[in-house]
Amino acid sequence: MKQLELRYVAHVTTITDILQEGHQTEAVTIRELLDELDARYGGFHELFVNLDTGQLNLNTMIYYSDPGEVPISVIDLDHPIGDGGTVTFW
Amino acid sequence: MTARDNRVQTILWADLSNGSTRLEMLPEEWTRKYLGCRGINARLLFDEVKAGTDPLGPDNVLFFGTGPMDGLPVGMGRMSIACKSPRGTVAEGSFGGFFGPELRRAGIDYLAIRGQADHPVYLYIEDGRIEVRDASHLWGLKTNETDAALRKELSDPDVQLRYIGPAAENLVHASPIFGNLNNSGGRAGCGEVMASKRLKAIAVRGSRGIRVADYDAFLEAYKVLRQRLDLATSRDMWTPVWSTYGAPVLARLFTDIGNLMTCNAREMRWDFDKATRISAENYLDNYVTKAKACWCCPWPACQKLHEIKSGKYQGFKGGNYWAAQPVTFGSLIDNDDLDWLLVISGLCNQYGLDVFHVGYTLAWAMECFENGLLTMADTDGLELRFGCQDKDGLIDLVRKIAMREGFGDLLALGCAEASKIVGRGSERFCLCVKGQELEGIAERNLYMVALGVAVSEVGPDHTRWYPPYPCNPSLISKEELAELGIDLDLRLAFQGRNPEQKGKLLRWFTISRAIVESMPSCVFLVRDTLGLDMRPWWNLFKAATGVELDYPEFVMAGERLLNLDRAFNVREGYRRADDHPPIRMATEDVPYFGYRKLDAEDFEPMLDEYYEANGWTVATSIPTRKKLEELGLGDVADEFDALGIEVE
Repeated sequence: MKQLELRYVAHVTTITDILQEGHQTEAVTIRELLDELDARYGGFHELFVNLDTGQLNLNTMIYYSDPGEVPISVIDLDHPIGDGGTVTFW
Repeated sequence: MTARDNRVQTILWADLSNGSTRLEMLPEEWTRKYLGCRGINARLLFDEVKAGTDPLGPDNVLFFGTGPMDGLPVGMGRMSIACKSPRGTVAEGSFGGFFGPELRRAGIDYLAIRGQADHPVYLYIEDGRIEVRDASHLWGLKTNETDAALRKELSDPDVQLRYIGPAAENLVHASPIFGNLNNSGGRAGCGEVMASKRLKAIAVRGSRGIRVADYDAFLEAYKVLRQRLDLATSRDMWTPVWSTYGAPVLARLFTDIGNLMTCNAREMRWDFDKATRISAENYLDNYVTKAKACWCCPWPACQKLHEIKSGKYQGFKGGNYWAAQPVTFGSLIDNDDLDWLLVISGLCNQYGLDVFHVGYTLAWAMECFENGLLTMADTDGLELRFGCQDKDGLIDLVRKIAMREGFGDLLALGCAEASKIVGRGSERFCLCVKGQELEGIAERNLYMVALGVAVSEVGPDHTRWYPPYPCNPSLISKEELAELGIDLDLRLAFQGRNPEQKGKLLRWFTISRAIVESMPSCVFLVRDTLGLDMRPWWNLFKAATGVELDYPEFVMAGERLLNLDRAFNVREGYRRADDHPPIRMATEDVPYFGYRKLDAEDFEPMLDEYYEANGWTVATSIPTRKKLEELGLGDVADEFDALGIEVE
């Protein structure tokens, strides 16, 4: 089980109704994390996943950082996530 | 009610030294060459304010410009103000609101004010008639007090007003002109120039209609533009986000990625919880009482009115929370108390101060204090540290800056001049370009921002090259770029710390925004296609004015404006050496993520590329004769020759 810090910015907060939260997960990738969040809140798939390509919608952004590391802009939704990571959804 | 058309534009000249006024028509050709608003203001400024003119003397001219699209019901309610800055550069600023459309409805497109009155006055304009009225009773009033007093005096709650506050009257650095209580424009010192003329306010009322030349074509052109701007159909999904939250939505993201200027930009990551407390999300949920749009804007409203609902400042009302406030009175001075932040920025509006001047100068003073360059003996006993412990003391300091009292008199000079007086290395803490404080966007990991800030003719002003955030190169395709004749590799251009393509990208952004502000429209509406496809604006302009010009001619009007602004500065002695980032950005690495300083080996090639792309002499930044003649500005090259300026 991993512990993540999740941050929601701007319009994403209209789905979550909160600005940030700690989140325990067994998800291995960003894609699996999106599945979990979509099940909890609804609307994550529609916002972040391009239905044609199955990859990140070009007009959205997800930043991911391992503890103490440079946040990277996620391009591949199969990007791995690790314990203590921070994920920012734009 | 009579209607007027848009092909020929009018100018009202007012000389406050003798009270004379005259209304003239501008040459019809100018609508084709300079479009309007910022474009025509640039031409007027170059022609009327000669080299070496005393900025605070009677010969400086203050222009209020509208444009052929102003007042049409398509979200075109901007206006431009221009004069020579007290710092010697072009001073130009853009306003939203309703004043521009009202001035046009009064039959006046441009207002040119020269001379100096011998006592405070205000101008009252109604349907082409102008009166110079005594304003002795208004002099010294804050902006909100002036607004209320004039509406009462004129018995007209809907009169459109522009005014200055006590800060401008006291010639405080960078004082802008205000309107609608919370809107300001012309932070390069237009308020100081207005005060030097003893002009407290302008009130305008108009009742004429404005007629487009080709109604059907106009409607068709508007449908296309509207589709691009519409929250539901824009190709940029950030359109609704931006129109709802505005620029402060960047605060939380920017601190996450090490791009939020914190403690005078010696740090670039702020505590995330602090950023959340001053975020747009918190503001919208807990403070906003009403959304407010400019004239017929298709977006719901990027402006907001707010009220503090509890606590020490309960009942304090104000408006507008943009990128400026969370940086200048938030991260830059390490304050996460949004109540106090809204109070201090609201007081700046009331005193007529520029929030960037005050925020950056406070941050400079705090860093000086923490390094022993200023002591409590200098600061009137105020412990001036990041974190803003003495909040009441800081509120009083803002008043002192406006009134030039005690320590406030030093800060009223702005941090560039203040650091010259304090010396001893305090210049390193001064974040200015061309004597003007920076704005909200950081430089060291967004090279295009650094270049745009450095080369801007008015000093830091992101609206002159506004890059839509988040920058998304996929908003326009390679095929569309080729169709538009734009030779640009957007993949490289949008890489934050890669110097390649930045000069070319900045040139196109600058031209595009110059066109938008000459219509005039709002640069924040250019998200779709990054504003690089100007054809919707071109079609609207043709239909509104009846002026037939091809697309390259239309684009050239933006380039002409850019060259006129550059030429004005060249004539005043500004050269390549003045187009540089602040010392801190050029000499100190960002302490995160390996972001380095903006060193010369990266910056100078960007500058070369920008000058080359513009057809300017790389060594000097002076437009070449060939370029000026290509733009139909041979007279500018001739004037350079006459003044002994070396033009290639």
